[in-house]
Amino acid sequence: MVGIWEVLDRAINTGPVMSSTEFDTKVFETATKLAKEHDIKYDPASPLPSDDGILDRIFEAGLNLYTEVGTYCMSTERVIKFSEAEIKDGLRDVSSEIEIGDGLEKRKLFQRKTEDQRTPLYLGGLIESNPQEGEIFVKLYQSIAQEKIVDGFYFGPPHTIEGKLARFGSPLEAHAHRCACMWVREALRRAGRPGLHLLSASPSAAGEMSGCNPEDGVRKSDAITVAVTSELKTDYVLLMKVVHSLRYGCTRNAFWTPCIGGFAGGPESAVVVSIADALQAVMVYQIRMTGYVNPASTSIRVLANSARNQQWMRNSAIQALQKKTNLIVCGGSMTSAGPGTEQHLLECALSTIGVIASGGHIAHGIRKAKVVKRNQGSGLEVRFQAEVARAVAGLKRKDANDIETELLKRVETNLDPDKAPEGKGFEELYDLGSLTPKKEYLETYNSVKKELQEIGIPVQ
Amino acid sequence: MLGTIGLSEEIFGEMKEAVIEGDAKRAEALAKKALEMNIDPVKSIEQGFAAGVREVGQRFECGEAFIPNLFMAGNAMKAGMGVLEKAIPAADSKQFTRGKIVIATVAGDIHDLGKTLVSTMLNSNGFEVNDLGVDAPVSKILDAARDKKADIIALSSLMTITLPGQRDVIDELKRRGVREQFRVLVGGGATSEKWAADIGADGYSPDAKGAVSKAMKLVEAPPH
Repeated sequence: MVGIWEVLDRAINTGPVMSSTEFDTKVFETATKLAKEHDIKYDPASPLPSDDGILDRIFEAGLNLYTEVGTYCMSTERVIKFSEAEIKDGLRDVSSEIEIGDGLEKRKLFQRKTEDQRTPLYLGGLIESNPQEGEIFVKLYQSIAQEKIVDGFYFGPPHTIEGKLARFGSPLEAHAHRCACMWVREALRRAGRPGLHLLSASPSAAGEMSGCNPEDGVRKSDAITVAVTSELKTDYVLLMKVVHSLRYGCTRNAFWTPCIGGFAGGPESAVVVSIADALQAVMVYQIRMTGYVNPASTSIRVLANSARNQQWMRNSAIQALQKKTNLIVCGGSMTSAGPGTEQHLLECALSTIGVIASGGHIAHGIRKAKVVKRNQGSGLEVRFQAEVARAVAGLKRKDANDIETELLKRVETNLDPDKAPEGKGFEELYDLGSLTPKKEYLETYNSVKKELQEIGIPVQ
Repeated sequence: MLGTIGLSEEIFGEMKEAVIEGDAKRAEALAKKALEMNIDPVKSIEQGFAAGVREVGQRFECGEAFIPNLFMAGNAMKAGMGVLEKAIPAADSKQFTRGKIVIATVAGDIHDLGKTLVSTMLNSNGFEVNDLGVDAPVSKILDAARDKKADIIALSSLMTITLPGQRDVIDELKRRGVREQFRVLVGGGATSEKWAADIGADGYSPDAKGAVSKAMKLVEAPPH
């Protein structure tokens, strides 16, 4: 087993030196070549594919890619390489079941399979919703924690603290994340769910370090998120988070977003990169005895992952990973439209169906690709996403593909984030006294649920 | 004479192909060969290398080519141009540069992709681009803009938390008393038309293609 100290030695001291440009080009050329060699073809008619034959080939190509190129450490310009035997050894250590959360909120997070009938866990929440500091932060996350259907959620720091801009990596940002942890804990207490699992997402390592505290911060039953920078890259900030979480004893959630049209190439090679990203999560980020992963996606044309080619890519990656590894795989939704709008909920639904039918749980939750307002999110769309996730568990992929295709028809011509409906902020969506959704938002929520029922989603 | 024209067209075709394939070594060799054959270097650029870049650009627009194809095409063209430019009189060579641009992802933000795409597209469209990479401090951007005599400073930011880095550049330009010397173009996932207006940027584009059009307009516009 290649442990973290050996990984760091390769990143810091012994890995071969290479320019970033050379590495990027190598990833593109190798992934493109491997996709062709393994006959991986994108099928626009199946954004939620159900061809099991392709999954072995996708995984094999990803394994070959990662063995060939490795991970690039941007801080040292060194490549962290592993042999195929080392990678396979690492994969054998991956747990298919872990415990998260604490006390009454303890949950068993397990590897789901495609078309799995078991109820998925919902570890959603809001990603980059531009939350404000203080009481409004507590209320925003309380609106999520009070939803019984939620098993955990994602959060990050506010962008200002003590009225000052909290710049990345600064002491103010570390303080902002420390406060965010305390406010989220307060939200959990107010919701009567102090042990709920949290996914902590500070951009900097200093933020994560200052946020860890068994009393009023990130606990050992929580997770720290670690990104694979596109494509197949890491740096000291991310590696510091890994070292810190290993020493502290909390789990890790690794995520990645291969960019279609960028150095990941087309959807066929991007799915190969996505598998290699998973292997980076296992080897470099040590998602082994503990941890879970989020294969996500983006593209140079459509930032949100509601686009058809991204859906195919992400759903294929989830299916290949659940078939060929023990990894516990999850997914979320990055939408073009903002909260409070019909399109936002439809985009959430289509991504959620893909993740669940492909063998994932929901983690990270929802993000508007381009946040334009403060506090852009609320507990209601989180409830909606969790309800859809539960409703579609057990759906056959072919049936789920028909539903996803139907939903795509309704949104895919309006995915430009500058043109899609921008949505509303928390204060516009919720009554902050009673902490309940306002009438207008509830009407939108109910009407979209009815729309989903009409196209075959048995959402309650 | 007809034979020479035929040979020229043949080599222009090969130059175009070398750029499309992103083969910098071949582009360089073809440029040397063209000079040995006394083929007009200006025509080699226009009908050979630039034609290749245009073709890759069109394929990119249709979704048939990706950023790395543009990037490699740009590098191949640069390799060929490096040879040919030495043979072009200074007065003539100016026509190949639309303007000088310093581009960077602002401090605290390590997102490379969008900025690299814009950089590559600008390069392919005739701009001389100085790419400072990611996480670039204000002073590094301003010093490079001054040293390179840039016409435009292009700034990218994906994260809302790093967005203020774009405003910092404009504020520092004002503080140094050189705001009127540079046009500032902003973009990236966290930006918007409104943000650009709020911070007093000269232009905003949501994508790389728009960034090229905007940059072209900015260099043609009269100074502040």
